Amino acid sequence: MASHTSKAILCLGRINVSGLGHQKPGSRVTYATALSVNSSAGKTGPPDRSGRGPFVRRPRRDAGEPRTEKMPVDQDWTAVYPAAASFKPNTVPLPMRMGYPMRGSVPPEKQGNLELIKIPNFLHLTPAAIKKHCEALKPFCTEWPSALDSDAKCDEHFPIKVTSTDYVSAGPSVRNPSARIVNLKVKLSSLNLDDHARKKMLKLVGERYCKKNDVLTIMADSCPLRQQNYDYAMYLLTVLYHESWKTEAWEAEKTVADMEEYIWEDSPSQKNILDTLVRMKVAGEGEDEEVREQLLGRSEVQEYKDSVTRLKNEGESESTMLQYKEAVKKVLNL
Amino acid sequence: MAAPMALRRELFSLARILPGISHLGPRASGACTGHRKYNIVRSPLPLTSSTFFHTATVFSSTPPAITVTEEPDALFQRVSVLVKGHDRAVLDSYEFFATMAAKELGINISKVYEPPKEADRLTLLKSIHVYKKHRVQYEMRTYYRCIELSHLTGSTAQVYLEYIQRNLPEGVAMEVTKNAMEKVPDHILEPMWKDDTTDDKPSQ
Repeated sequence: MASHTSKAILCLGRINVSGLGHQKPGSRVTYATALSVNSSAGKTGPPDRSGRGPFVRRPRRDAGEPRTEKMPVDQDWTAVYPAAASFKPNTVPLPMRMGYPMRGSVPPEKQGNLELIKIPNFLHLTPAAIKKHCEALKPFCTEWPSALDSDAKCDEHFPIKVTSTDYVSAGPSVRNPSARIVNLKVKLSSLNLDDHARKKMLKLVGERYCKKNDVLTIMADSCPLRQQNYDYAMYLLTVLYHESWKTEAWEAEKTVADMEEYIWEDSPSQKNILDTLVRMKVAGEGEDEEVREQLLGRSEVQEYKDSVTRLKNEGESESTMLQYKEAVKKVLNL
Repeated sequence: MAAPMALRRELFSLARILPGISHLGPRASGACTGHRKYNIVRSPLPLTSSTFFHTATVFSSTPPAITVTEEPDALFQRVSVLVKGHDRAVLDSYEFFATMAAKELGINISKVYEPPKEADRLTLLKSIHVYKKHRVQYEMRTYYRCIELSHLTGSTAQVYLEYIQRNLPEGVAMEVTKNAMEKVPDHILEPMWKDDTTDDKPSQ
């Protein structure tokens, strides 16, 4: 008898060992052991062979009471669903219904409901479970330095901002080539640059500078790895900085057309106003050079210079035009 | 069988992956007690080891204590987590989980918002042959959720992101944008031409 039943079980390979009550909840494990053979053989009785052939399907045993009936109300749910698992109706003691109802009917119940199994559930991430996980993770976290509580302080001490993106998705490959891109942003005001160096830097970087925010952006994506792109971006910044401090021989050939902003000295405007004033004989007679210098020293001429510079650099607006008008009236004594 | 294995993976992945830091000691976390419960339950039953497909060979000794390395921690001014999925309810639940985890770990949450959904639509012929006027339209909707965290250190960000990403549900994708901030490096503080007159390229 025992040998016969053991042979049957080894052939079938799928037996419910619900007799062992402490198994993992909800799973029908298949074990081929001597213990299970004896217990199951005792329950079902000898197989009936009359007129059916050499192999008889063992009659299916009834499922026992679902585990939900035996669950106490104050149980530890994190032990029932400790990790992500599919929805098991006999394990979740909630009276749930899900699905589109048939006409005149209610949504289907949870037993044998595919919709509940398909959708990802968060039964393993209840607030109690999250608290337990975070308690275990706390020792690995470090605190943010309390001195850096505002953005201004962060910008003052840590002016270079490096941005990168990670991508997580399911697919044939975990890699995403966009993850190698590194953006480096730095405010030029935080770098040690003098006037000439700043202008040269602006000419070197061109489009990468935003005048409104005073931010230089270097985007590095030519290398295949993020670390390489980051190193390259830092290298570019270093080279730009040092090269902008250097003064080459050909920089002396900078013309008025290359200038970034309007400079009044040695401009046609200065020549014109001085000529006009000399002709008007505002100052006393004397040498040309002395007269010109004297005129330059006058406050009206200085005001005129400011207004013209402002007009050229900032463009035309109400305030700039007004200022120009006032300055002209003063200079020409209108 | 899957749950105990997944559980152990969750426990000891931190030991493997987090560099130089691994401590899963006597502190009874939920995962730990579940794990121990299974151990206790299995022993009275006289089942041979061949019944288990995965035997506990790796996880025997006590893990080492937390190690603190000398290199300075990275500072992230902002970490922006964007999750994308086809089902808004799943993203709602995930947002609850992520925000709660951030609160428990003491991370500042600056903003949680929902960017508008996007739909990819296509129009196909309804019939296999003729009937050009009868079409059917399909769409694939992508819902978004964005959680912006501010003022995180490198270790905290690593721990939080690993926890979040390991519990990402199936069918949901994530993009994490990190804004790190750094000091001006020493070789950019002063120009190198001040001292030496020879022109040589700055070395990186």
